Amino acid sequence: MNTTQLTLFWLFAALTCGGAIAVCVSQNVVRMAFSLVLTLGSTAVLFLLLGADFVGATQLLVYVGGTLVLIVFGVMLTATGPFTRIKSSAAGGILSGLIGIAFLFIVASTVTSVRWVDSDKGQGVASKIEFGTHSKAVASHFNPEQQGNTTRQLGLSFLSLRADRDLKFGIPPAPVEESNTAPVIPGESVAAAALPLNSNPKLSVGYLLPFEIVSVHLLVVLVGAAYLARTKRRTKS
Amino acid sequence: MDSLGNTLANLLTIAWLLPLFGFVVQILFAHKWGRKSKAAAYLAIFCIGTGFVCSATAFYKWDKQAGHLVFKEAKPAATEVAEPKNDSKAEVTEEAHPKKHSGRQTVFSGTFYQLAQFGDLQLSLDYYIDSLTLAMFVMVTLIATCIHIFATGYMSEELVEDYVDHQVHSHDGGHFHRPGRFYRFFSYLSLFCFAMLGLVIAGNIFQVFVFWELVGICSYLLIGFYVERHSASTAANKAFIVNRVGDFGFIIGLMILWTSFGTFNFADQHVSDGGVKPGLFSMVTRDHHGEFPKSADGKEVVLTTQQDGHGAWQVPPETSPRKTIAYTLLIVAGLGVFGGCVGKSAQFPLQTWLPDAMEGPTPVSALVHSATMVAAGVYLAGRFYPMFVPEVLLVIAYVGCITAFVAATIAIVATDIKKVLAYSTISQLGYMMLGLGVGGWGAGLFHLITHAFFKSLMFLCSGSVIAGCHHEQEMPKMGGLLRKMPITALTMLVGVIAIAGLAIPGIYLKFWSFVPYLSVYEDHGYVLSFSGYHSKDAILATALAYTKLNPLHFLLFLIPLLTAGITSFYMFRLWFYTFLGKPRDQHLHEHVHESPWVMTAPLLVLSFFAAFCALGGEHHGSLFGVLHHSEPVHVHHGFEAANSVSLPSHQAIEDSHASAGQAALLAAFVGMALSYLIYGKGVVNPDEIQRQASGVHAFLANKWGFDDLYDVMFVKPAHVVAKFAAAIDKFVFDEILHTFVRMGIAVSKWDRKFDEGVIDGIVNLMGNSTHSLGISLRNVQTGKIRQYVTFIAVSVVTLFVLLFALYPKG
Amino acid sequence: MQPIDPNPFLIVGAVLFVCGVVCMTTKRNGIGVLMGVELVLNGANLNFITFSRCTPLGLDGQVFSLFVIVLAAAEAAVALAIALNFYNNHLTIDVDRGDELHG
Repeated sequence: MNTTQLTLFWLFAALTCGGAIAVCVSQNVVRMAFSLVLTLGSTAVLFLLLGADFVGATQLLVYVGGTLVLIVFGVMLTATGPFTRIKSSAAGGILSGLIGIAFLFIVASTVTSVRWVDSDKGQGVASKIEFGTHSKAVASHFNPEQQGNTTRQLGLSFLSLRADRDLKFGIPPAPVEESNTAPVIPGESVAAAALPLNSNPKLSVGYLLPFEIVSVHLLVVLVGAAYLARTKRRTKS
Repeated sequence: MDSLGNTLANLLTIAWLLPLFGFVVQILFAHKWGRKSKAAAYLAIFCIGTGFVCSATAFYKWDKQAGHLVFKEAKPAATEVAEPKNDSKAEVTEEAHPKKHSGRQTVFSGTFYQLAQFGDLQLSLDYYIDSLTLAMFVMVTLIATCIHIFATGYMSEELVEDYVDHQVHSHDGGHFHRPGRFYRFFSYLSLFCFAMLGLVIAGNIFQVFVFWELVGICSYLLIGFYVERHSASTAANKAFIVNRVGDFGFIIGLMILWTSFGTFNFADQHVSDGGVKPGLFSMVTRDHHGEFPKSADGKEVVLTTQQDGHGAWQVPPETSPRKTIAYTLLIVAGLGVFGGCVGKSAQFPLQTWLPDAMEGPTPVSALVHSATMVAAGVYLAGRFYPMFVPEVLLVIAYVGCITAFVAATIAIVATDIKKVLAYSTISQLGYMMLGLGVGGWGAGLFHLITHAFFKSLMFLCSGSVIAGCHHEQEMPKMGGLLRKMPITALTMLVGVIAIAGLAIPGIYLKFWSFVPYLSVYEDHGYVLSFSGYHSKDAILATALAYTKLNPLHFLLFLIPLLTAGITSFYMFRLWFYTFLGKPRDQHLHEHVHESPWVMTAPLLVLSFFAAFCALGGEHHGSLFGVLHHSEPVHVHHGFEAANSVSLPSHQAIEDSHASAGQAALLAAFVGMALSYLIYGKGVVNPDEIQRQASGVHAFLANKWGFDDLYDVMFVKPAHVVAKFAAAIDKFVFDEILHTFVRMGIAVSKWDRKFDEGVIDGIVNLMGNSTHSLGISLRNVQTGKIRQYVTFIAVSVVTLFVLLFALYPKG
Repeated sequence: MQPIDPNPFLIVGAVLFVCGVVCMTTKRNGIGVLMGVELVLNGANLNFITFSRCTPLGLDGQVFSLFVIVLAAAEAAVALAIALNFYNNHLTIDVDRGDELHG
């Protein structure tokens, strides 16, 4: 990471943590909502810093733009006054804080006790973890240039094509009649390579099925939510 | 002849089964007709009356076709071709064939229905029809019809919803109330008629035994008809138990027969392969001298199981397998079967039940306990006669002789009108047995028929008297009833004369000779007498002939002769006591009335038969002739034996007839004269005699002490044994059982404590601990989400801490 | 693009996670609890992305984080519906009042 990135990281890491703590500490639900917006937005920047441009964008769109609006709606609909407070007991807060600190200590100590970076090769130890038969190849051909340009690959993976593995490194040899043709752009090579997919059992798994399931799931959830939240006669408490 | 056999079998079967039909209908439906309805009686009368018509028709048909042979003995019976005929009906397979030993015996036998087959032995419902069967059928159905009609009047006081039994006192001093039992009485009567007819028609000894027991149970039911009266129920029990003693002997006899002969059938049987299986009577045949075919050592009787070319049964040759039976076993078998007869016919020493049986209604006494059932013993002895060897006959003769004398003496002092008749019945049954025992087969059964008529007549008369006197049975309270109830008195007189055997000798009644059917006897004429004279005469003549052959047994003639006098004495005593003299109970006398016609009409009918049924007597009378037709072959010639008792032949009997008849007549007249002097004329005060011979009177009034003797011999010991057994039961077995039980209880208590303390404790502990754990854990479940999340967080932290603590360098 | 040290990102994710948990335990407001859940999910997401960047997992982590986001949105919708119902029934959003299932 260069300096700019580091600076950005520290800035947004601080914003993220601060927002989170503010959410915990604040007693006002509207301020909590605002702090949450701050936290989620900063997290989106952290995603971008990690090269996940599409996920970061989605975070902003879905969370900050969608979920939070939903939450704010909830606040408005349930709060009898604009600044409703529901006080929690101080003892409970202190107890929860102590537990939280203990939890954080354990997690942090666990994280820091792992040597993520191999000192000899300067490469992530995690990259040596074997993921199937191509792990070596994958690790060795890890292409940093691909980072930050994930939208196309994600789209392909949702169509069950792993551009970052199978297509990129061309395990299936190209057909003879196509060997003389000019280098193709990744999308076209994908189309060409997609043909013999069935003939190669060693292809990596895509995400078409989970994608479809999630789609249906969303639909069901929206219908259910609408059903649950519909106007009903209030029962006498 | 075959068609005759079938006709007879059909008619008698109808007569036999009709009462059963009546019984079933009455049992099932009579209660719907109501207790005031006489329909049950009419049904019963219809059934038995139709039975009588059938029997009479059968008798007539038989008489027309076969009976005439008896009067023309010269006619060879070979014309009666013995051919089996198979005439199968829906249910009844009939196989009728006439069987002839000589020219005189004609038997129709066959099988109705086979019940079971055990190896060679088959149990079946057979019929065995000869002239004895026919005569019994006519006699039973005729008397039963009369008695049914009589009972319709006699039992009419039962035609109420609420019958008051004045002889039963309830605890509060009142009388016992119960519903009337009119229809029940008639259903019992019908059942009895069915059983009695079945006994008569039975074609094998086992079937006889079955119906034997059935009449026994009917007798039990009818004696105990007034079951609430203690005396009646006791008498019923006594009759039943005493009969069991005799039946025990009967069963022993049956077992010997089964073992030795392998069949129960009287007559020969046609088996399926075309052969003929010999019946009991065919297997025991005698030669012309009355001797059995015996084995070499003379101890065993060889059974004649092989048929020669003419159908006669003979001993198989030495080479072929022979069936033999030890002579002693034959005696035992005869004695066993006779034991049954002793019980049923109330012979010495089992005679004690019959007087007590008078507790039943009077029509029952007339039908069951004088005319038919008690005579069944005599009938069986007669039916089974071919199986009895001379030694058995001697026992029969002595038993009959003792019975006749003992019962007659007791009858002198009896004061209950029915008891007198009961003892008279026992005495007369003894006569019959005596007659059979001394070789007078025809004489004994002749007396059976005549006695049935006059004794049932007298019982019905006594019933009429009892009904007229409002159920007063004691003769000392009666007297002078002749004018109040003339019909009863006169019919009774007929019976008394008949039983006493009075006659006017030397008077020949040419009057009867114009009856064409009887014209053959014209040259002999008749003694003017009633039926009893002839039959008793026949018995005494046989007895005299017997004692001539066996001088050792002279008592067998003298005692019956004496008994004849006594009989005359006590029967006239009864009549004089009841009907003549001054009324001894004025109050009772005023209310006496003659019975209605339903009761007197049967008296008239029966008195006719009592007077004239034996017309012609022994020599040429039609009744005796009919019976004579079935006489076993060997009886005719008698039996001469050097080392055993001899039996008189017909010729010997004939020779002694005149002297015996005169002696009997003399005895009867003496008895009547004494009776007239004492009870009719009052020359001697009977009470005076009674005082002077008080010991004898007490002895006789105590029935020779038989009841006391049996009480001491059997009842008391039985009680002692029973008490001893009860004590053992109570103090030993019960104690052992109690100890076991107490141990069991102790174990159970301990077990209970263990159960409650330990097992239940463990289970409860588990349950309680689980419960308390649940209660305590319940507090954890606060329902508050935040707490749950806290718990989760704490758990995760704790788990990690534990992980790091346990695997520091993991 | 040189490898980066994942630790700072992971720490930040841990802080987010712990804050979410603490938020869930302390907030009596149902909406606050919902926010705690969102924080926890975000912490997890940050971890996914971090490992996607630092390991040869490649796109898998990003895909998973996408799914998480989508599911979180769905969860938020349903949870809000539940919260509204809760509010309708109890006239408050205090989750401590919804203890009908206590033992």
